[in-house]
Amino acid sequence: MAGCSRPVESSDPVTVEHEISPLPARVGVATITFRLADAAGKPVTGARIAVEADMSHAGMSPVFAEAKEEQPGRYQTHLKFQMAGDWIVFLHVTLPGGKKLERQIEVSGVRPK
Amino acid sequence: MNPSSIPALETAESLPFDLMRVPGLGHLFRWRYARPLLQAPLLVLSIIMILHGLFGPTLAPKNLATTLSWLHFRGVLVLVLLCAGNFFCLACPFMLVRQAARRFFKPRFNWPRALRNKWISVGLFVLILFTYELFDLWSSPWWTAWLIVAYFLSVLVVDGFFKHASFCKFVCPIGQFNFVASTLSPFEVKVREQDVCTRCHTKDCIRGRREPVSDLVTIRGCELALFQPSKVGNMDCTFCLDCVHACPHDNIGISSRLPANELMVDPIRSGIGYFSRRKDLAALAIVFTFGALLNAFGMVSPSYAVETWLGRTLHVNHEAPVLGVIFTFFLIVEPVLLLGLAAWLTRTWASSKRDLLPLAVRYTYGLVPMGFGMWLAHYCFHFLTGLYTVIPVTQNAIASLGRPLLGEPRWSLTGLPANVVQVIEIGFLMLGLAGSLVVIYGLAEDDAPDRPLRAFLPWAVVCLVLWCASMWLMFQPMEMRATMMSG
Repeated sequence: MAGCSRPVESSDPVTVEHEISPLPARVGVATITFRLADAAGKPVTGARIAVEADMSHAGMSPVFAEAKEEQPGRYQTHLKFQMAGDWIVFLHVTLPGGKKLERQIEVSGVRPK
Repeated sequence: MNPSSIPALETAESLPFDLMRVPGLGHLFRWRYARPLLQAPLLVLSIIMILHGLFGPTLAPKNLATTLSWLHFRGVLVLVLLCAGNFFCLACPFMLVRQAARRFFKPRFNWPRALRNKWISVGLFVLILFTYELFDLWSSPWWTAWLIVAYFLSVLVVDGFFKHASFCKFVCPIGQFNFVASTLSPFEVKVREQDVCTRCHTKDCIRGRREPVSDLVTIRGCELALFQPSKVGNMDCTFCLDCVHACPHDNIGISSRLPANELMVDPIRSGIGYFSRRKDLAALAIVFTFGALLNAFGMVSPSYAVETWLGRTLHVNHEAPVLGVIFTFFLIVEPVLLLGLAAWLTRTWASSKRDLLPLAVRYTYGLVPMGFGMWLAHYCFHFLTGLYTVIPVTQNAIASLGRPLLGEPRWSLTGLPANVVQVIEIGFLMLGLAGSLVVIYGLAEDDAPDRPLRAFLPWAVVCLVLWCASMWLMFQPMEMRATMMSG
C-alpha cells in the first residue's frame, strides 16, 4: 500500500508518501515508511514525526509511536494494530524550521491474524 | 390461568424484598419529583453528547457521543436490567422534555386503535439495527448525535399529538428492548397486598388522583394502561412510579421476584392481554433474540466475507441490498424454520392441542433469556473492554475548551483485558441458556402435562443451536469496519 496522505489543515507544499508492510495490513506489528519531499521533490530531512493510530470505533486506546529517519527524507515506524478493522493513522510532523504539519492516513480493513 | 394462580413468592413466611422499604431509597422513590431528579442528569448528558457529536472530534474513539452511546450507555443499560429492573425508562431524559413540552401543548388525540400493538416498534427496532450496520453508527459521532436528536423530536411529535405514554408503549424501540429484557429482571413494580386493592374504590393507580370537586388530575395514574391489581410482570412497565405516587394506600412497591417467571405463565395481563395471543409481542421477542445474534455477527470477521460473497453473487455494489438479504435471513427465514420445525415437532410428539402458530408464539417467549444472554455478552464486551476510555475522552473534551481542568488526556486508559471479559461473556451466555431451558420446560409442563419432555426437547434443541451460534460468534476475531463492501 503506497500513497499520498491527506493534509488535515494546511496546503503545505511538503508531500508525504507512505508505505505499509505487510500488505494487506494484519493484526500485529506493521511497518510504516514515510517519504517527505518539498515542492521541488527534494527529500525533507531532520523532521520529527509523531504517529498516532486510532480505530474508527469507540472503546480502543490510540497507539503512539515516533518515526525515525532511516535515510534522508525516509522515515520509518512500527505500529501495533491491536484489532482487525479500520484504522486511521495521524502524523504530527515538525519540520526543521519548526513548522508543523498534520497528515491523516486511512488504513481500511486491517485483517485478523 | 389467572394472576392468583401464578406461583407466588410472597407467602407469609417469605415476603419479597421491597426497594420502597429501603431507608432513603424508599423516601426518594416516593418523592413526587424523584423522576425529574433522575432524568435531569441524563438530559444534561444527552445535550453534551449531541453537542460533542456535532461539533467535537470526528473520530469516534475521541468523541463523547459515540463513546457514551455505544459503550457505556448500552453496557450499563443491560447490567441494570439484569441486576435490578427497567430503571433506564424511569430516568429517561426524553420524557423530561416531553413533560416540559406538555405544559404548553396538550395532546388531543388517543393513539389509533389499529396501532395499539407492537408492530410499529418492532419495525423501528429492526430499522435501528439496520441503520446501525448501514451507516456504521458506531464510527460516526455526527450520525450518533442526530440519532439522539431524532429521538427527542420523535417523542415530542408523537406525545405532542397523542395522549398518555403513546411513544413509550407503541413506538420507542429502546423501550421495547427494555420491556422484553426486564421480564428477566429481579424487581417488579407491583401491589403489596391484593386485599387493599380489592377494597379500594378510587383506583387512583390507573385513573390518577383527582381533586374532589373539580375532578382534575393532580397526580396521574399509569399512562401505559397497566392496572396494578391485575398487572403481571414487567412488560410495558416503565418504572415511572406514577402508580406509587397516585396510590392513596401506599400499597405499591418495587418487589423482588423470580426473574423470567412471568414468561412461564400465561394469565391475562392488564394492558396487554394474553402473551400467547399476542403475535406482535412474539415478533418482538424474535427480533430481540435473533437480533442479538445478528447485531453481534456484524462485528466479526466472517460477516465481511459473507457480505463480499453476497455482493458478488447478487452483482450489487451497495451495502443496503446485501444487508437486506442478511437481515431477512436472520430475522425471518431462520426464526420461521427453527420455530416452525420445533412447533411442528412439539405438536406431533407431545400431542399438543394447540395449532402450530399459537404453539410457536407461546414458546417463542422461552427464547428471550437466550437472547438477553447474547445482548449482555455483546454489550458488556464493549463496555468492559472500553470501560475507562470515557476518562481520556472527557479530559480531551474539556481540554479542547481551552482549560484542561481534568488534566491532559490519559489515552492509555482502556478497560478490562479481553480474555477476562471473554470469561464473563461465556457466563452470560450460559446463564441465558439455562434461563431459556427452565422457561421452556415450564411452558412444556403447562402445555403437555403428560409428556413435558417431548414438548421440551425440540425447543431445547433450538436453544442449543442458538447458544452454539452465540459461542461461535464470541470466539470470532472482532473486526470493526466502516467499509464493508470494499472486500
